[in-house]
Amino acid sequence: MSEPDDRRLLLEASLGDRGAFERFVQRHEAAVFRLLRSSAADEADAEDALQEAFVAAWKGAGSYRGGASARGWILTIARNALRRSRRRRVGEPSTFEPLEELGLQAGWGRDDTLEGLARRQVLDRAMQMLGEEEREVLVLRELEDLPGEDVAEMLGITVAAMKSRLHRARLRFLAALREVTDE
Amino acid sequence: MSDLDREVAGIRCREVLKLLSSYLDGDLTEAEARRIDDHLRECDRCEHFGGRFSEAVAALRHELSRAAPLDPEVARRLRARLSDV
Repeated sequence: MSEPDDRRLLLEASLGDRGAFERFVQRHEAAVFRLLRSSAADEADAEDALQEAFVAAWKGAGSYRGGASARGWILTIARNALRRSRRRRVGEPSTFEPLEELGLQAGWGRDDTLEGLARRQVLDRAMQMLGEEEREVLVLRELEDLPGEDVAEMLGITVAAMKSRLHRARLRFLAALREVTDE
Repeated sequence: MSDLDREVAGIRCREVLKLLSSYLDGDLTEAEARRIDDHLRECDRCEHFGGRFSEAVAALRHELSRAAPLDPEVARRLRARLSDV
């Protein structure tokens, strides 16, 4: 028998089926926690928001209409839970370098290869070096593979602005990778 | 004038740098994509950088797409919280 889809699980959860909701939690908890850890001030805040997000999802399961993906739906709830806690990561530079500068930091003009691309630890470290907005757009677009329109809506920006942020985030990620592997 | 101002096949390197994500994501028109193709064929620096850029994005998607499982204690506390509502 095939696994029920998210829409069905949430429908059953809205009728009080805790087993169905547990399956929904199992399916999404790791992704939700990853997004929260990328934005929260610390692990404890990420965990608080994780709990609040799934409590809100349990109470509001009936509000899921199935238009956007359930992954996008629960990630939006989680992002809002963290925003309410007002403990988002702070103190990171929000500098807006010219694209050319970013390109040079990312290695434009260097005739070399990139090491460590197959090592999760290296990639994780590079991600940690990014600012919150950059990490967030990479998690949503590249790792969760959510449609660009959904990501733009979650971030409260236009699709064009999301694409611009994504491009800068990719360049910064490449620059961070070089920094990690040059050490 | 920086190296990025170099014009190859009718388009400057800085413009190629700006359009790289749109190019990789297939967001450009056919004519725009063809201009980038022509530039990359003749510009070693942009061709090389485009390759590294593309490799980095692919590695990110491939290696990190699977989120690490929740720590068992975090998972346990989540269930405990959910059982209270």
